[in-house]
Amino acid sequence: MEVTRQRFRKLDGIIDDLHDTFKSWESDGALSPQLDPDTIQLMKLAVHEWIANLVQHADFEGRDPDITLEVFPNDRSLRCVIHDNSTGFEPSRHLLRRMRELEPLPERGMGLLMLNAATEYFEYSRSKNGPHKLEFSVSSDLDPWLNIPF
Amino acid sequence: MQATAMNFFVEPVTHDTAVIRIGKALDFRNAAEFKTTAQDQVHAGVRNFILDFTDTGILDSTGLGSVFSLYRQVSPLSGQVVFASVSRPVQVVVQLTRTYKVFRQFPTVDAARDAIR
Repeated sequence: MEVTRQRFRKLDGIIDDLHDTFKSWESDGALSPQLDPDTIQLMKLAVHEWIANLVQHADFEGRDPDITLEVFPNDRSLRCVIHDNSTGFEPSRHLLRRMRELEPLPERGMGLLMLNAATEYFEYSRSKNGPHKLEFSVSSDLDPWLNIPF
Repeated sequence: MQATAMNFFVEPVTHDTAVIRIGKALDFRNAAEFKTTAQDQVHAGVRNFILDFTDTGILDSTGLGSVFSLYRQVSPLSGQVVFASVSRPVQVVVQLTRTYKVFRQFPTVDAARDAIR
């Protein structure tokens, strides 16, 4: 199983860089050929939501951002790991709050919910000195669903 | 065709219907511009919006939220928001969120125009 990795050192332009990276990986065949295109798209969406969260809300305390994305293709699923050197936050607490407070046709607050819905699981580990780590997987064997009130 | 804010082009269809061409992304970076563009049209009397997603590679949660906002604005005015020429990245978000229950979809902008007239 080959790991595909990309490091980002600035937030300015990171979304364009991220999607350029996805394009490059797909054209190089770096992602598993067994995966259907929709599953790859779900992975891209989940990563995008997390990076968007970092761009909008993370505190790097004046340090240069250091964000690494690793993708591990595995048969009909993709496991992703994103390290970052921000001060971190507690996604599970935010997720529960978002779930409780979700209004019909919400304008904001769907990012973590979308990440959660798109993935088989996601885990976030905090450490005092090392980088923070988000890990999740997406699978071709699921039909994920985010229940938004309409 | 009239250029408004960054990334968005508005094409009037009738006095109360317009096509907004979304461009390559509708996400947290330009959702506010989308809202401004749409709101200007609502103030000018537009009630029906055809969102053209032909070239759209990115639709994220904030982008979808801005479309919800438009829908909330026009639905009490008997207006509608429909999706046309939905790209795969957009379709994945539509499927994940089941928003096809709210926004009718058409294979082309012309088909949406014909249905709304």
